[in-house]
Amino acid sequence: MSDLAIELDGVEKTYPFFTLDRIHLQVPHGQIMGLIGPNGAGKSTTIRILMGLVQQDRGEVRVLGRRMPAEQIAAKWDIGFASEDMRLYEGMTLAWHMDFIRSIYPNWDAPYAQLLLKRFGLRAEQKIKGLSHGQRVKATLLLVLARRPRLLVLDEPTTGLDPVARHEILKELTAVMTDEGRSVLFSSHNTQDVEQISDRITFIDRGRIIDSMDKEAYLDRWRRLRLEVPSGMALPALPGIIGIRQDGRLAVATANAFAPEMANAYESTGARVKSIETMTLEEIFVANVEHSREQEVGA
Amino acid sequence: MTSRVIQTLILKDWRLQRTQILISVAAGGLALALLQLKSETAFLVGTVWFFVSLIVLGSMLPVSNVVNERKKQNLPFLMSLPISALQYAISKMASTLGLFLLPWGALVIAASTLVMSRGDIPKGIVPLMFILFGLPLVGFCLIAATALVSESEGWAIAATILCNSWYGLAWYFIIRNPAINRDLNSPVPVWSPAVLTILTGEAAAVALILGVTFYLQSRKREFV
Repeated sequence: MSDLAIELDGVEKTYPFFTLDRIHLQVPHGQIMGLIGPNGAGKSTTIRILMGLVQQDRGEVRVLGRRMPAEQIAAKWDIGFASEDMRLYEGMTLAWHMDFIRSIYPNWDAPYAQLLLKRFGLRAEQKIKGLSHGQRVKATLLLVLARRPRLLVLDEPTTGLDPVARHEILKELTAVMTDEGRSVLFSSHNTQDVEQISDRITFIDRGRIIDSMDKEAYLDRWRRLRLEVPSGMALPALPGIIGIRQDGRLAVATANAFAPEMANAYESTGARVKSIETMTLEEIFVANVEHSREQEVGA
Repeated sequence: MTSRVIQTLILKDWRLQRTQILISVAAGGLALALLQLKSETAFLVGTVWFFVSLIVLGSMLPVSNVVNERKKQNLPFLMSLPISALQYAISKMASTLGLFLLPWGALVIAASTLVMSRGDIPKGIVPLMFILFGLPLVGFCLIAATALVSESEGWAIAATILCNSWYGLAWYFIIRNPAINRDLNSPVPVWSPAVLTILTGEAAAVALILGVTFYLQSRKREFV
């Protein structure tokens, strides 16, 4: 059996105004992959393709070792999928939905479902139309988690939630991940959520994957250097520096492959390194997207 | 395993739509009760009401059972279950057709029994009744097929308007058809070639609509 929970190889999908371009994505078993991208970047299209809901024009998709969409039925027994645009039946109660899912999945874990009801502060006998947005998201997650899937695919699950509801959901997802056999693909444009729970991170923009790697390595690689430059001198771009902003004698260089030697290299040009700062995932995300778009324009 | 999931989906549709089905059966039953009154007005009102209940059910069911599932964004929830898009379409076609045929069949049997048991109603009317029973069935299939294939409320409404306009015209031409009209007062049902041709045409239309729907659904590549 492959050690990959998800494998997309050269996947392409063309719509009249959007193209998903040669997507290569791998999620190893037991890992949480955060898929980050701005609105319209292609996160949902990628997820729909890997769930077999949309058929790719080209490329191979394997989920839990199954070819998609051809083997989607076998694959979906072990996948828990929730998306931001997913709605339950408004006129029915949460208990009705729980019965419905239980009648399909033999793995339905009733005690765990009851535990989640308590943790999420939900009442099974309440109709879905009477629930707040946060409660609806929690209800959907309850239905997904209590079937004990091997792979969780969550498309923007925390969008539109208040901080308390977001915290509760992320806490539960983190708890779920103590089971090391379980894999997660988690898409969001909220970098804080992704930073909190992901092992690996993939950035997607305008239908292309612009970077994909281990979260810690990511955060370690990116730095912001604040420099003081002798007047009249333009700061040179060193290898690993993807952007320089200079205003008079003050300059900020952004590195995507930081090495301590960079500071010495800049000192040797006459510039003075005032500080070397770590960057948040959000800052890295924005810098990465801007850099990718500049390269696209340049090409 | 998959057939069990399809059964569960069909059962789910029944649970979601049963109130509507029961209301339409009750309305049809009430219309048949009116036919029992010995008055020409009651007979006319009952007849019209009876067919209206079938037509309304045939118009509303495809929207509530098919279009609303997409419109209210329940489809991603269903498509996350271990079924393929084609199996979802099969379950939807089966449940929508079954949910219509159940009250339609019950009302057709009840109406036929009533007419056959009433001595004052000429039995020559029976073939015409069956032709008229078939029209809401054909209309329902067309509306349901449009709803399934287009997944659009707008197209479903357009098909409903088309069918509802067509019923009146069809009634007019069928009742005025001399080959049918001449046997209406016969003491026994007369299954003339004209009657059989129309009934066969209705059955063929149902089969064609369902076949084309199945074919188009099986070729779809995107479902959400």
